[in-house]
Amino acid sequence: MDFKELMEKFGGKLDAQAKWDDCVVVSREYLHNVVAFLKDDPSCKMDMLVDIAGVDYLTYPNHEGPRFAISYAFKSLKHPGLRLRLKVLVSESDLKVPTISDLYANANWYEREVFDQFGIVFTGHPDLRRLLNHVEFVGHPLRKDYPAQKRQWLSTNDYLLPELEKRLEALGYWIVKRSKEVETKDNEFLEGSVKE
Amino acid sequence: MIVRDSNGETLDLMPLNVGPSHPATHGCLRFMAAMDGETIVASVEEIGYLHRGFEKMVERGTWQQVVPYTDRLNYCSAIMNNIAFCRAVESMFGVELPERCKVLRVIVNELSRINDHFVCVAAAFQDLGGTTPFMYAFNPREEIMCIWEKLTGARLTNSYARIGGLSRDAYDGFEQDVLAALDSTEKALKDLHACLDRNRIFLDRTVGIGKISAEKAISYGWTGPCLRACGVAADLRKDEPYYDYETYDWEVVVGTQGDCNDRLQVRLAEIEESVKIVRQALKRLTPGPVDIVDPRIRVPAHKLAYQDMEGLIGRFKSVYEGVRVPEGEFYSGSECANGELGFTIVSDGSGHPYRIKVRPPCLTQFAAFHELVEGGQLADSMAVLSGLNIIAGELDR
Repeated sequence: MDFKELMEKFGGKLDAQAKWDDCVVVSREYLHNVVAFLKDDPSCKMDMLVDIAGVDYLTYPNHEGPRFAISYAFKSLKHPGLRLRLKVLVSESDLKVPTISDLYANANWYEREVFDQFGIVFTGHPDLRRLLNHVEFVGHPLRKDYPAQKRQWLSTNDYLLPELEKRLEALGYWIVKRSKEVETKDNEFLEGSVKE
Repeated sequence: MIVRDSNGETLDLMPLNVGPSHPATHGCLRFMAAMDGETIVASVEEIGYLHRGFEKMVERGTWQQVVPYTDRLNYCSAIMNNIAFCRAVESMFGVELPERCKVLRVIVNELSRINDHFVCVAAAFQDLGGTTPFMYAFNPREEIMCIWEKLTGARLTNSYARIGGLSRDAYDGFEQDVLAALDSTEKALKDLHACLDRNRIFLDRTVGIGKISAEKAISYGWTGPCLRACGVAADLRKDEPYYDYETYDWEVVVGTQGDCNDRLQVRLAEIEESVKIVRQALKRLTPGPVDIVDPRIRVPAHKLAYQDMEGLIGRFKSVYEGVRVPEGEFYSGSECANGELGFTIVSDGSGHPYRIKVRPPCLTQFAAFHELVEGGQLADSMAVLSGLNIIAGELDR
């Protein structure tokens, strides 16, 4: 199908870099609408979000335009073999993109990963934390200016009780007594058990 | 942790941490569950304990040096990852592989799938307390491992595929070894089905456990056997065929319930289909070259490097500078044992990858883990986890 025609109403452009598949560059203001449209439109029905990948163009030769890009890959199970990528360009001065985690459940973790690796903030994301890197990690490792040899001292463990309470609240429970955050210098931390 | 539920009843929940180092978590997975007695009320997952920075590491080497890294994604079927990556790069080059290479890739792909599914089913049964099926499944797996040893020199991290071909051709007697392995695979399948299908304990532990609807699974981006267990007949080998998969006679296996039992049974049935494909592929295996002849893509053979000036230059350039993948961006997904393994590749036209993003099939499956275990018992969560076949190597990259 011809995505070019489809994207005219959203002001999208075909990506010149995509020579082997279809990719449309859309502005971030329209991203949420475009994705919602693609998901529901019967002629494409992109019901699966396959991947979200961040790209940092800092050292890309002869690159003009914003430093970061986010590439969303979609595919359709209704029309097997139909795929589309969307690309959103983000400049370094304003690292914000609207979330699509309300449309696709797996966007939640994918967006957390992009935030973790590139520092791009997804506005409206319910739980924007680091996904792969450690909670104490400083910086965003997949940016091109992050030195690959850099070492960091990471000592504590991820403290999951606040997330567990959030999940309980989402399931309709009311927390009577919240658990106390255990600091690394506390005795409880050294004892290694979770105390209330 | 004292909470009040929607009926106003007060519950005293116990937060229980499972993992990251736990015999039943298969690697380094961690989840924290709020327990009401034996029942999991809520659960949250935490990953990243095996994060090695695959995507940062590959940016520092040449395109060919990515291949050994891909071994470490899903280490139960390393060759499949090699082939998935090489296929993505070959599509960017726009080259057509020789017939023998395609058939050999299909054979090793399907043997890896058999291997991976056997490990999953065996480990799932082991977690539920059954040791016998583990041995049944590991006999043919060992035979396939011996084929890997002869074919690639390694058992686990094979690095067999190359961009534009294979690292080496099949050895003498490869066909006989594969046929023998297929025979023992079929025997093991018979034994496994005898063990599992009507086993009261196994059925009680897996039927109706960790159920997920097809809509939810699609929304979570599930692919591969886990999605097919929900009744969605989606398989990239049929939907977007490559390596002439559409010309082989085989079926896409689907389940009905989307529960733990279906996920394991779909895997066993997929082994049967893979056996069918390999048997047909062996018949198509005719002598011929396995590499494409283009020194800009595939390194010329050693023999040429010693005798021929062009061969020497080609070898030197491609080893030191790397192959020059055309500039552009591409997403390519291949059907691996756990689902769609995708690579989003950004190339700046140099010998080094500018950016490679891996789309691991496990990530989307583990992201839905809390939906599967909430409301069930703690012991069920182990059955669910092993039925999903989460491989931490590709989950955390």
